Amino acid sequence: MKLQTLKSIIEKKKNKSEFAIITNLSTGESELFEKNKPLSKEMEAYSNKINEFFKNKKNGVIENSEIFIETYVLPIKVIVVGAVHIAQYLVDYAKNLNFEITIIDPRGYFASEQRFPDMKIINKWPDEAFKEIETNENTALIALTHDPKIDDPALQHALKKKFYFIGALGSKKTHENRCQRLKDSGFSEKEINSIHGPIGIKLGGKSAPEIALSIIAQLVAETYIK
Amino acid sequence: MKNSFDEKILEEALDWIEASQKVVLATVIQTWGSSPRQVGSRMIVNEKGDFSGSVSGGCVESAVVRECMDLIKDNKPCKKIEFKVSNESAWEVGLACGGEIAVYLEQVN
Repeated sequence: MKLQTLKSIIEKKKNKSEFAIITNLSTGESELFEKNKPLSKEMEAYSNKINEFFKNKKNGVIENSEIFIETYVLPIKVIVVGAVHIAQYLVDYAKNLNFEITIIDPRGYFASEQRFPDMKIINKWPDEAFKEIETNENTALIALTHDPKIDDPALQHALKKKFYFIGALGSKKTHENRCQRLKDSGFSEKEINSIHGPIGIKLGGKSAPEIALSIIAQLVAETYIK
Repeated sequence: MKNSFDEKILEEALDWIEASQKVVLATVIQTWGSSPRQVGSRMIVNEKGDFSGSVSGGCVESAVVRECMDLIKDNKPCKKIEFKVSNESAWEVGLACGGEIAVYLEQVN
């Protein structure tokens, strides 16, 4: 691989763009593939196969050839509502996983640069904040404030946009009340039951890093079920 | 879902190169049967035999390091190597899990 190719790969990863590395195994020559970007003459013959691998987010050698394809897919978007203590550990764990985290909290003293260095923080109420983020069924929501004023609008947005994972922190009692409020707002039982509440797998821990670990474990598990 | 973005091996490769080291990328390009790491998994090796990342669960890394050092020494651009099931009674390198993998070595230049 040429040093220049290695540098472009790292640049593209940084910019969160989707691409594939195409390598000719017999010569060691490689090039980058992107949607709507023409391939080199040498690779043109394989363009259908390359597109197929790319579409299916697969890696592998094209059958009966010496062409290897490695695809890079976008990380999953995770919206954390509540720049609380647990969120600080969540962000830490997520650094080594394929998640792109955005934190929403209207309370400026929580959502500070000092508490969350180098993080995308939106210091607005969820309704306003969601106008700035593109969300879809590949997005996850982790609601951590257990304040209905902040969590509820975010949960409603996530349910409407069919996020693949929606979880909310809070005791069983808090969650019952939350479900009742969502029911009153017109959400179906099926929708409400899709919320993981209380959020996290049962680890037994009570400290902030332990709760964060149980939440991130559940998120990873649900990501693979998806 | 595939996690290409989570591993920072290529970033580390660039750091090594910028520190004037020679680097070989070793990538799992094919697997048969049960293999510890999926296609696309990668490790990097320098001329001294330092390495980072993995292509198996620790089963064949030592052999990959040797092959990579040879590639640098012989100044060859690339090479494909295959690993099969190891024979438990012999001290040979192989995959105890019963799988087979093909690993592609390439110098960054």
